[in-house]
Amino acid sequence: MGRAVSEGWSDQPRPSKSVTNRWFDGTLFDVQLNHAQRELTVKIVYYGPGLSGKTTNLQMIHQRTQPDVRGRLLTVETHDDRTLFFDLLPVFFNTASGFKVKVKLFTVPGQVIHNATRRIVLQGADAVAFIADSRRSASPENNSYWKNLNENMRENGLDPAHVPIVIQFNKRDLPDTRSDAEIEEARKKGKEPVVGAIAIRGVGVLETLFAVLQSAYRSLDARAGLSKNIQLGEREFLTQVFQNIDTSGTELEKVFPPRVKAP
Amino acid sequence: MRQGESVLQRRISLVELLDGESFTEVVKGFVELYKVGIKVFDDKGGKLADIKVGNGDFCGYVFSFPEGRRRCTSTVGRVKDGPVALSHGARLPVLESTDAPKAKGVVTVPCFTGLRYIILPILWEGDTLGRVVFGPFFPEDLGDFPPPSLTEVSEGFDAANARKFVEKVRRAPESTIARVLLHFAQLLQTLLFAGQKMFLTSQLHIEATLEQNRELEERNKKLEEMNQKLKDLDRLKSAFLATVSHELRTPLTSIIGYSEMLAEGLAGPLNGEQVDYVRTIMDKGETLLKLISSILDISQIEAGKVRLTFEPMDPFELVNSSVSSLKPQSQKKGVTLEAKLPGRHFQSTGDRDRLRQVITNLLTNAVKFTPKGGTVRVLLTELTHQPDINAQGFRIIVEDSGVGIPADQFDKIFQSFYQVDSSSTREYGGAGIGLAIVKSFVEGHGGVVRVASEMNHGSRFTVILPAIPSAQTSVSITPPVTALQAPADDRF
Ligand SMILES: Nc1nc2c(ncn2[C@@H]2O[C@H](COP(=O)(O)OP(=O)(O)OP(=O)(O)O)[C@@H](O)[C@H]2O)c(=O)[nH]1
Ligand SMILES: [Mg+2]
Repeated sequence: MGRAVSEGWSDQPRPSKSVTNRWFDGTLFDVQLNHAQRELTVKIVYYGPGLSGKTTNLQMIHQRTQPDVRGRLLTVETHDDRTLFFDLLPVFFNTASGFKVKVKLFTVPGQVIHNATRRIVLQGADAVAFIADSRRSASPENNSYWKNLNENMRENGLDPAHVPIVIQFNKRDLPDTRSDAEIEEARKKGKEPVVGAIAIRGVGVLETLFAVLQSAYRSLDARAGLSKNIQLGEREFLTQVFQNIDTSGTELEKVFPPRVKAP
Repeated sequence: MRQGESVLQRRISLVELLDGESFTEVVKGFVELYKVGIKVFDDKGGKLADIKVGNGDFCGYVFSFPEGRRRCTSTVGRVKDGPVALSHGARLPVLESTDAPKAKGVVTVPCFTGLRYIILPILWEGDTLGRVVFGPFFPEDLGDFPPPSLTEVSEGFDAANARKFVEKVRRAPESTIARVLLHFAQLLQTLLFAGQKMFLTSQLHIEATLEQNRELEERNKKLEEMNQKLKDLDRLKSAFLATVSHELRTPLTSIIGYSEMLAEGLAGPLNGEQVDYVRTIMDKGETLLKLISSILDISQIEAGKVRLTFEPMDPFELVNSSVSSLKPQSQKKGVTLEAKLPGRHFQSTGDRDRLRQVITNLLTNAVKFTPKGGTVRVLLTELTHQPDINAQGFRIIVEDSGVGIPADQFDKIFQSFYQVDSSSTREYGGAGIGLAIVKSFVEGHGGVVRVASEMNHGSRFTVILPAIPSAQTSVSITPPVTALQAPADDRF
């Protein structure tokens, strides 16, 4: 494509370049932090067995977020509402120091046959929300997808020590759901934060998002020094997101009072 | 490891989101409807669409003057590559109050001719992917035309001509043009969304297919490695068995030999009871020797060390000699042993010693599993075409009236050291390798072994052999693979 003769504009956009760096101990860190573009991309992946409620989580977040800070919810589904490739909800804001931050929320397809797609969508994740079905009968399924998550992380070169996971126990409205005590017990089995939820009613959805974004921030801050390098603190990061989300009726209401109700 | 970065991991350009041809069609339709030209550029100045309407004659006339050309080029450069910001001559557009909130980032750029352009940044997920340049149009609020900035380009500039040409340029209030542009912006967002969905899903479909292939290949490679490891292990096992059985056989022959000498009185006379004892030692020694020999056989077969040597032979003689060698054993047990041979004599090719062992093993088994008073028959067929091996050949059938074999065990009985149930080892003795030897020798000849059985009525083993085996001279048996399962690591 030809470029017409023009009087050079000094402030033309520069080409984008993803920054890959080596950490002082020699390990690679590939944070999507682009200093030339003054841009940070944070990738969150909702993982879990089929029909556990991953897409529902994104739909609820989409509903409650101000349209000017998010894109449309991109979903690719089969005729029976099963995710075929992924769902994507982008949320973006500018920091006080003028950095552009994009938070990309993805879901994976939960059906067993889509493992290759799950692995692709999981690439480069900064944090994972594992959506489990809390019914007791779903335990084997949850365990097998937990294993699958760990395998796919390994295949993608994601170090579990750097990529935090938050567990959501969804569908707590159904009979046969685990009791609070049982969930407490499950919490003690590992170090991951655990959130109970009824995603179709929006219960626990924002709390899960909060936990996973907070974990992602802390891990990125530890690796790429967000507060030092781009003057983005944890408080600002979370506030920039949640001040544009209708938190009414959730546990986050007191910390981030809703400015406007969702449309 | 993964195959490179997914499309989900990188920034997507405008060209990828907007399908070239159909996008141009949409823009064309829009331009025809509203009579204002539209140019679409990506963030590097690449042109995605350029549909002109009405201004050709006018701009052409201006362009025909050197100074007109210079100023025109500068304006075009400004709208195309200059910042979509309130600088370099751009100002806020004139808008209806209701449109103001929707017109984020929109700027107006006046042309020196008095015409105007409006520029709209293409915003997508917080990024500016490019711009839409709308115009030129003739603003209703423009006072005198042509303005001095136009007439001054040349001495010979003809204002009347310019007025005539500019008639064809769309004339409207700036706010109206801005509103049309905002419509276009809305349409563009829809196109971008649809384009993103199309692009990402088609790319991901390709990526997932590639990834699946890669996964399959990797799995195959692992299986092959595992298979190789098992083969190596198997060879080790065979070598071990060969050594051990050899080391056992040597002293055993001495035991038998010395016992024989004792029994024959070579070391002085023995009383009746002593002779009985020594004969028992000899008997058991012989049994043990046979067992060790067959272990040695199977280990050599498994190590791939057995070579069959094919030469002309007589199947009649083969059957007869095997039957006579089994006679004493069957008589002792009270089992009738019958042989039936065809009327016409024929010759064949094969490894005589190995085939004799095949028939002997089958007969030994038949006699072993047939109770006292029962019958074991061996039948040799005529030389005819054998569909099972698709060659000229013959069958040797060994039938018994014994306990029978359950149908689900038919495959397993041909594996080394296999007994239908472990109690049969105790009751009937033997190591369960006779049939494994039979199978490998017969297959080494290019033949097959079939088994049929009815519980408590008897079994029938059919050996189908070609009259002349194909060139294969060695055989090996692969042991069954046992799957290993890793213990589950439960989080839930
Ligand atoms: N009862 C109940 N149903 C729920 C809840 N959350 C989701 N569902 C329902 O569960 C079904 C599956 O939800 P999705 O969000 O599509 O599940 P998914 O995890 O995206 O499934 P895949 O795309 O196949 O992996 C839908 O019918 C939801 O309405 C919940 O908290 N309680
Ligand atoms: Mg889904």
